[in-house]
Amino acid sequence: MIERKEYQDYVSQNAPKSPMLRTLVAAFLVGGIICCVGEGIGDIIKLIFKEMSEKDVATWESCVMIFLGSVLTALGLYDKLGHYAGGGSIIPITGFANSVVSPAMEYNREGVFFGICAKMFVIAGPIIVFGVTVSFLIGFISYFVV
Amino acid sequence: MRTFRLKNPVYIKSGFTIVGPKEGDGNFGDCFDIVLHDDLWCEKSYEKCESKLQRDAIAGAIKKAGLERNDIDIMMGGDLLNELSSTSLAARNFPCAFLGLYNACSTFGEAMIVGSMLIDGGFAKNITCSTSSHYSSAERQYRFPLELGNQRQPTAQWTVTGAGCTVLSAEAPLRENSRVYEDDIVSVDEGMQLDEKELEKYKKSIEKQKKVINIDKSNIIEDNFSREYNDYMKPLSHYAVVTGGTIGRVIDLGIDDEANMGSCMAPAAADTILTHLTESGMDPSDYDGIFTGDLGRFGKANLEYLLSREGITLPTYYMDTGASYFTPEQKTFQGGSGAGCVNTVFNSYILKRLQRGELKRILVVPTGALLNKDTPLQKETIPGIAHAFTVESREF
Amino acid sequence: MEIFLTYLKVFAVGGFVCMLGQILINKTKISSARILVLYLLIGALLEVCGAFEPLKKFAGSGVTIPIMGFGSNLAKGAMEGAAKSGMLGAISGGLSAVAAGLTVAIVCGFVFGLIARSRSKKF
Repeated sequence: MIERKEYQDYVSQNAPKSPMLRTLVAAFLVGGIICCVGEGIGDIIKLIFKEMSEKDVATWESCVMIFLGSVLTALGLYDKLGHYAGGGSIIPITGFANSVVSPAMEYNREGVFFGICAKMFVIAGPIIVFGVTVSFLIGFISYFVV
Repeated sequence: MRTFRLKNPVYIKSGFTIVGPKEGDGNFGDCFDIVLHDDLWCEKSYEKCESKLQRDAIAGAIKKAGLERNDIDIMMGGDLLNELSSTSLAARNFPCAFLGLYNACSTFGEAMIVGSMLIDGGFAKNITCSTSSHYSSAERQYRFPLELGNQRQPTAQWTVTGAGCTVLSAEAPLRENSRVYEDDIVSVDEGMQLDEKELEKYKKSIEKQKKVINIDKSNIIEDNFSREYNDYMKPLSHYAVVTGGTIGRVIDLGIDDEANMGSCMAPAAADTILTHLTESGMDPSDYDGIFTGDLGRFGKANLEYLLSREGITLPTYYMDTGASYFTPEQKTFQGGSGAGCVNTVFNSYILKRLQRGELKRILVVPTGALLNKDTPLQKETIPGIAHAFTVESREF
Repeated sequence: MEIFLTYLKVFAVGGFVCMLGQILINKTKISSARILVLYLLIGALLEVCGAFEPLKKFAGSGVTIPIMGFGSNLAKGAMEGAAKSGMLGAISGGLSAVAAGLTVAIVCGFVFGLIARSRSKKF
């Protein structure tokens, strides 16, 4: 009928593509706004707890952002945001929270044990595994190098 | 030889469809028998809801055909979930022999072909062919959790929430469809073995779900009987007969993008249509309706391109049910897909047009992409399959 | 005025980082988990090269709120642990630096998993 290669080329050339400009602008705006919200939360924490160290403020800031991301996911708003913004809402730490909370909400129908707990890291698992492994490697190397 | 012609007429006695709210807003919204307000339908999970959709579609089709559940010899059906869970769970409510079928989104075509062959061979008198799919249950099985904030690809399709059932029979249908009332569908099944306490609970949930059935669009409600497509009062002028078909091959041209299933299925559809036309000696213009399954807008363009290379031009009335299912404003990108897509359109829009004599001879080509969640991860390509069956309408 | 400039920098850098991710999504159809892992690794790499600290000085939350901040914390924790308490610090330092965020994510996941249900999409 038609050669495999020819058909694959035809499909990849003619397949509809994401509208570049609109998605990039949306990602830029939403990503920037989420980062600004994070900065604002950090500033507020600094105002309230004046003697807190810079590092603790940053930790609190990311904790609050993760909580906010989780709440938006639980309210069913984060997937709408993600549909509009794409990378703008995936890459901030709220996107990480979304990838932990959304499977937990999805699989709670299979029960607490094998649903929520077992499936919670279906999406976020690779992030944690990669992160921990890389941090171990970095620590290991720096122990010998430094 | 993959094309066959049936020797005896196999009548389509009735078709019944239930769809979700988004589908009810789509292009075929007026033709469906039931449109739900809420796609959970008072159940605890989307899988349970899908099973209930299918159960009630079968019950409704049997009632509409003027039959009893015991009159059905064989039930045939399938869906997209693992191990046909929703079909099997729906089938436990019926006292009939059951054959589970799987051909992804083309399961309906497979069921119609096998069913009409069984009736033609004299092995059964009445057969139900049903399939179902549900957006939310398919999404979590094949893709990602619903609440995950990712973007759908522009080549992606929307799994249709819906179930439909056709009753095939060796006996000619009646001129008037039996009316289906709310109570016939939403009722406690005799086959269900429940104890007192659960029965009470079940009855309560039925009360709740009766309120959920969309009053505006349901023709179960008396006021709606005069809708153009859902006119139960008028006797039908024509009846539909399955006359033959072509069984498809599995075709794989090496597309491995699971978000672009239309392109995986288009070669299979092209192959089946070509084979059907050569083996039966027909021309596309001999059919006054050609319907493919769920290729989507891009897949439809692919199919037309593939056929034009073979020198075949499909007529302008060629329609892809997936591509036509939703309006562009509904943002489904390529249109509908899933086992319920071609089924719900056939049993509502197409069947009603056949029964009014607007279509004389049609070719229906349901298509399916054969994959599960793991095969693309194991770097497998996605093969496609398509079955074709022909339906003719005859005057009473 | 100065605070406005700070926020502008955060907005511009944060937005730019996310826009790069979106270009990847559009061009390669990469899934969201892969994007997150990629950015995490970039963050860890930047930290090791010593480029993350000046970026953080410049843009603040613009680089720490994207998941790169998570990666840099992991790398930083491991390096600090190795310097402070030897091999054991190298092993435990990474996770203990991000323990707060991870705990909040897991607890939130569990609690919201118990009380909230996923809903069908309408678009």
